[in-house]
Amino acid sequence: MPSPSALRWRSVRPDAIAFREWDGEFVVRNEQSGSTHLLGALGGQVLHILLHADAALSSADIVIALGDEERPGYAPDKCATVDAILQEFQRLGLAQPESP
Amino acid sequence: MIVADLSYGELTSRLAYGGLRLRTGPVVTRIQSRLSNVAQGLALHYADHAVEDAQGFADFHVCVAPPRNLRRWVKPQVYFQFDGASPFLPLPADQAFPMLEWGLNWCVSHHCHQYLIVHAACVERSGLAVLLPGSPGSGKSTLCAALASRGWRLLSDELALLDLVTRNVVPLPRPISLKNASIAAIGRFVPDAKLGPPVHDTVKGSIAHMRPPADSVRRAEERARPRWITMPRYQSGAQARLVPLSKARAFMHLADHAFNYDVHGRRGFDLLAQVVDGCDCFDFRYSTLEDAVTVFDDMVRQV
Repeated sequence: MPSPSALRWRSVRPDAIAFREWDGEFVVRNEQSGSTHLLGALGGQVLHILLHADAALSSADIVIALGDEERPGYAPDKCATVDAILQEFQRLGLAQPESP
Repeated sequence: MIVADLSYGELTSRLAYGGLRLRTGPVVTRIQSRLSNVAQGLALHYADHAVEDAQGFADFHVCVAPPRNLRRWVKPQVYFQFDGASPFLPLPADQAFPMLEWGLNWCVSHHCHQYLIVHAACVERSGLAVLLPGSPGSGKSTLCAALASRGWRLLSDELALLDLVTRNVVPLPRPISLKNASIAAIGRFVPDAKLGPPVHDTVKGSIAHMRPPADSVRRAEERARPRWITMPRYQSGAQARLVPLSKARAFMHLADHAFNYDVHGRRGFDLLAQVVDGCDCFDFRYSTLEDAVTVFDDMVRQV
């Protein structure tokens, strides 16, 4: 089993997601599951990045896209946080890791 | 014609034979019953509601009746019937009118999918509506009854119907259901309230209904734009105060309290998002009705 940071992730199809933001909080409806979720600022940004990505992304790619650090090696805590968010997205059916 | 135009004899006769076609907002229900407490409840609480033509269309056909077994006489019970079927277990006969009210709520919440239906009280002033979503026991009906007696128009005590196109609230003014300590609280706050006799030992405790204001019933075709979403909570000793609630959290509250959000899928999501866009959203704690009404009056004055 690869470590979470080594996985590459894709969101569900963008057209299966309805997405609204108010003041840094997000509500997301997943048409595939029929569920609606409340996301905080970081969770919403991570989902937004995944939805607009052309290819599967690692948590390090996402940290870079978030723009907080130039190199992911400098942001281990952020990578761990994004990993936790991605695993929660997997539980909610919002994203899946690609098969190696 | 309204219910008050019927003599009590005419009312009981219609209920017993052919049914009373009662209009409540956009809904017509044909009600049949030979039970005196049902007739008395309808005469008291629906006095100002329109009675539709005896041969006209009805959205729902319901009946409250005793069973055809020993429980007709021994510890008597009653059934609520919808299109001839009994969707609920029977209740003690003295709960016949509350059972009719719960049954009418069920009819609307489970069938009127031309609306997005939120479990919320709703009142209006100056054309602007306040949605008061809340779980049972939150104090929303008590607050709703207090506001409806102090110049706010009752749109609904229980079911806020949102038009899928205009997003406006479609009024459904019906009796306000008061429970336990709220019965005496409203009795004190609104001395001239038309309250029915309390019915004890229901699944919700003691229940009494309050007749909706006649003006609210007469204006049932006037829809109102949602302007505030307020999550009420009675809390002993709390100072009445509106605390801003984020729109995303207000959205989740509305979705959680909607009966048919999932039925509407993406359309329901977009509708609720547009409603939230147009609303100021608050948590609201209160302990006295006088202060609560003052806060709401100030809220509308600031618009």
